[in-house]
Amino acid sequence: MKRKVEWKLILILLVIGFSIYFFVPPSKKVKLGLDLKGGMHLVLQVVTDDAVKMERDQEILRLKSLLEDEGIKVGNIYGKGIATIAVEGVPSERERDFDALIKANFGNWEYSGVVEGKAELNLKPKVITAIRENAVEEALETIRRRVDEFGIAEPVIQRQGLHGDKIVVELPGVDDPKRVRALIKNTALLELKLVKDGPFPTKEDALKKYGGKLPEDLQILPSRGQGYYVVERAAAVTGRDLKTARRCVDKYNLPAVCFQLNAEGARKFEKVTSQNVGRQLAIVLDNVIESAPSIRSTIFDSGIIEGSFTGEEAHDLALILRTGSLPASIKIIEERTIGPSLGADSIRKGLKASALALVLVMLFMILYYNLAGVNATIALIMNMIIIFGALSLFRAALTLPGIAGIVLTIGMSVDANVLIFERIREELRNGKSPIAAIDAGFARAFTTILDANLTTIIAAIFLFSFGTGPIKGFAVTLIIGIIASIFTAVFVSKTIFELLYFGKRKVEKISI
Amino acid sequence: MEIFRNPRINFLKAKYIAFLISGLIIIAGLIFINRNGLNYGIDFVGGTLIQMKFSHSVKIDTIRKELKKAGFGSAVIQAVENSSDEYIIRVEKIGTGEEEEHLKIAKKIMNVLMPPDERKLATEKNNLNTLSESEIKDLLAKSFPEEKATIWAKKIGEIKKEKKIIRSFEELLEAGIPSAPLNYLKEKTFIGSISIMRVEYVGPQVGKILRHKAVLATIWALLGMLIYIAFRFKFLYGISAVLTLAHDVLVTLAFIYFLKIEFNLQIVAAILTIVGYSINDTIVVFDRVRENMPAFRKKKDLNFDNLLNSSINQTISRTVLTSGTTLLALLALYLFGGEVIRGFALTMLIGVIVGTYSSIYQSCAWLSIWNKFYGLKGLLK
Repeated sequence: MKRKVEWKLILILLVIGFSIYFFVPPSKKVKLGLDLKGGMHLVLQVVTDDAVKMERDQEILRLKSLLEDEGIKVGNIYGKGIATIAVEGVPSERERDFDALIKANFGNWEYSGVVEGKAELNLKPKVITAIRENAVEEALETIRRRVDEFGIAEPVIQRQGLHGDKIVVELPGVDDPKRVRALIKNTALLELKLVKDGPFPTKEDALKKYGGKLPEDLQILPSRGQGYYVVERAAAVTGRDLKTARRCVDKYNLPAVCFQLNAEGARKFEKVTSQNVGRQLAIVLDNVIESAPSIRSTIFDSGIIEGSFTGEEAHDLALILRTGSLPASIKIIEERTIGPSLGADSIRKGLKASALALVLVMLFMILYYNLAGVNATIALIMNMIIIFGALSLFRAALTLPGIAGIVLTIGMSVDANVLIFERIREELRNGKSPIAAIDAGFARAFTTILDANLTTIIAAIFLFSFGTGPIKGFAVTLIIGIIASIFTAVFVSKTIFELLYFGKRKVEKISI
Repeated sequence: MEIFRNPRINFLKAKYIAFLISGLIIIAGLIFINRNGLNYGIDFVGGTLIQMKFSHSVKIDTIRKELKKAGFGSAVIQAVENSSDEYIIRVEKIGTGEEEEHLKIAKKIMNVLMPPDERKLATEKNNLNTLSESEIKDLLAKSFPEEKATIWAKKIGEIKKEKKIIRSFEELLEAGIPSAPLNYLKEKTFIGSISIMRVEYVGPQVGKILRHKAVLATIWALLGMLIYIAFRFKFLYGISAVLTLAHDVLVTLAFIYFLKIEFNLQIVAAILTIVGYSINDTIVVFDRVRENMPAFRKKKDLNFDNLLNSSINQTISRTVLTSGTTLLALLALYLFGGEVIRGFALTMLIGVIVGTYSSIYQSCAWLSIWNKFYGLKGLLK
């Protein structure tokens, strides 16, 4: 008997010790939610229609040039709705050629032939879905990169729901909404630069080759893979000249990346590539070289980046190329900016309320249950310690509703103790000896405690799945509090009773 | 200490009166909510919320009048904890749908509430109370070394965090900002009488989705309970529990309506928590009923109401005690938790009382009624 109590004590001390270790000092280890720390919460909607329209407009250009190549002169080509290309004035004698051309080149489009010189191409729903999906993923990636670049600690950037067009951005500590808004809407820096030399294993090695000093027109840039390249400082083309990029296949049916430049970019690019066939062109994003493929031929307005890509690599590279330009415009549909002073105020008030709740409940328990009440208050304090330990361990943020959850837990978690104590009193009234009454009280109250708390946890889990940010914080503290209260009320309180009364020769009376 | 010593109260005797009262509250609530709608916060209808602190006290009527003049007649104005210098202003869906509309609204509201002489000043200089720490740093860095500017800006940020609003340059001097940067700030900025503590904007489409999600989460939670209890007890117990919870939600909603509590995300959290709390209470009683069954079967009279009553009596002190401690904690939260959490605390206070009451006068009352209809079949395990 004695042995067992000692083991229980050790377990309890370990749990408490670990909890304290995890959250002390709280100012460093307890992560605060936006509403307590101050910061910015944004929900962005990616206007995916833009991406669909953009695709359509590019396809219109492609169609025009193809028609030109074939010498088919049509009256008018224009975009309709968001995913329709309308063609008017197809000469009747070339209808068959037109048909053949569309069928050969526009597999992604639904097309039902020319009627009275008119034709309509509708983007297939599956393709539209893919474009939309792609647009949201791209925007998310772009924003994540930008936020990282901005240097905000512990940002949360994620999609709301699995297939929605909304992105949640949480930026703790940000007190400058204007700058952040600009950051999210500005374009990242993409540059294509001619490689002079490389790769080098280290920066020093690269420098050595140039006698320790680099000419003004060159610079050393790290490569994402590894090593360093010496590249020309002036970018041949920048992200501003890029229209889009996507994964495609080359003439050997291998994964590659296709990109398109706007008119200005095309002019510059043609000049650079025609003069530098055989050289490497570094694709630089935020001063890091993503890759450095060789220029195999003169490139005009669009091009293909070939290399020994896997499909995924090609996809990623295309994605990175696109990062420069957001795929679609972004609308802020929810924005909450909490100033640091409000957060500090909330913390002060939350602490005050928690302290008062704790004192009131403890006084009440001791008044009602005497020594057993002291036992319950010890369990309660341990419960608090475990909650903070678990919060810090899981890196869950403490929010204002989270504090409310803790205060609620203070009131609710003594329930398990109350259930047990009432049961012990009942057993005592029925004439059981104190020790037998304690044993029976704990044993009989346990199923009730389990049933009652499990259902509360079920409710809290639904709350968690519903909630956003702060509400999630509330659900988390509630769940942790309930689980901790089962441990403290059942296990810790029992151990305290055992320490107090068990093993003694004769227990006449217990204070309850 | 003991509140109840061997109570033998016939709780179920009053069940029809209880049903009547609950029914009336629910029906009245539903009718009014249906007609007038809840006092939805911006979470659910969209709109802009601004919390601002004034350096002096301002009457709520003055704010209302000024806002009305500027075209925000429907704005909801709320004093933070009955103070006269801190307000939350809610403007619901002006709805031009224009991008960054909320920023314009915030700016306009601030402009309207500024004293006239300050309005003029604001066209020339920046209000130090609305500049962020990084903006102050950038400003100072224009004529002081970067590190110094950072330190001073941080210090000013802390003062603002502590006091919510800076009232004079002297305050900064006392707090240890040297006179050189202070003079520079005096030249470039002014101390405005308004400091913005929070700006929230929620687009109208968000609210629709949220409302849908809130209803779904509540229904799923109820279903989850039904399944768990039907599994652990019997089906009729599950039905009783879910009816009880529906009762709790509806009665609480009625109170939310009549007390004009702002219905926002936190209130949804409160309602779901009440569901969890109430089921807790109900289960404790049900558990006791289950435990008393074997002894009950041996009896001759087999009066199910007696079984229910004695189970309620056996658990009543626990029920009262736990509600008591929970109410104590919530009271602390209501009184001292601050404005943001007050609606939540009030809703929970109501819900805990309702949930405690309903574990007797709904859960057990329904069991008693099933017994009248179906006999003991389906109630004994």
